[in-house]
Amino acid sequence: MPAARRLAIRVLRAVARHAPDECRDWANAMLRELDFIEGDWAALFWAMGSTTAIFRYSSCGLKAWCKKYSGYKEELTMKDLGKEIAGLLLGVAMAIALAFCAFGLLQVSLHFFPVLEFGGVPWAAWVIVFAIPETIFIVGAVKLWQKMRPMALGILLSAIIFATHFVMHLVSHWNG
Amino acid sequence: MKMRLSPQTLQILDAFLQDPTDWKYGYDLSRNTGLRSGTLYPILMRLADRKLLDTTWEAAEMGKPPRHLYRLTPDGLQFVRESQISRLTEGMRRPAWSEVKN
Repeated sequence: MPAARRLAIRVLRAVARHAPDECRDWANAMLRELDFIEGDWAALFWAMGSTTAIFRYSSCGLKAWCKKYSGYKEELTMKDLGKEIAGLLLGVAMAIALAFCAFGLLQVSLHFFPVLEFGGVPWAAWVIVFAIPETIFIVGAVKLWQKMRPMALGILLSAIIFATHFVMHLVSHWNG
Repeated sequence: MKMRLSPQTLQILDAFLQDPTDWKYGYDLSRNTGLRSGTLYPILMRLADRKLLDTTWEAAEMGKPPRHLYRLTPDGLQFVRESQISRLTEGMRRPAWSEVKN
């Protein structure tokens, strides 16, 4: 049996094994159809598409459950879920870009104003690399919360990770 | 019943309407509509969730694993016919701009 078909069968078997109860039948249905697909690459693409379908269906079920218990009544569609994930990822990407910009700004500042790094306690660096980006993250997340909540969540998540990283860095490098 | 009918959903419903009493296989639907599994199955799942689609496993035969079958429920059939009528009337109400321009 060609490698592409073998991989397709393995992928769909794994999906069927690990799928939540409510979509296990669907996963098995997709797996059975593999026997009737002539091309090996077509079978692999079928398996990939089926995996995506099961994943989206499972995540919709999970999200609908969360909304039910959080009292959020708006009807959920798979397209909406895709948009929300894209918004979240965009928020994270924007936060990472801002953090890199802050780091670049620090490097430029230290190059032109070496006096900023005084007394072994790099206050200027902390302000540029941590305080300013964190403030922008929080203000941005608050501003976006009503209109673009997924993006705001992405930014907030990044802010938390960034702050945790900063605290851990301080704890591990603090010697006085 | 309120449901968003994307062009892909309409394609699938049309495929079911060609022979509404017949059970259909997933792969056959995919070939007839040209939709990939990643598009086809979420629509089938949504239709089944809304009780518009019946699903069943075909009877097992020796050495041949059973396949999943799909057919519109009576509610589904009614829904498709109603949506077809509303599409037609909507199309008739819409002004033919190209004719006006000419």
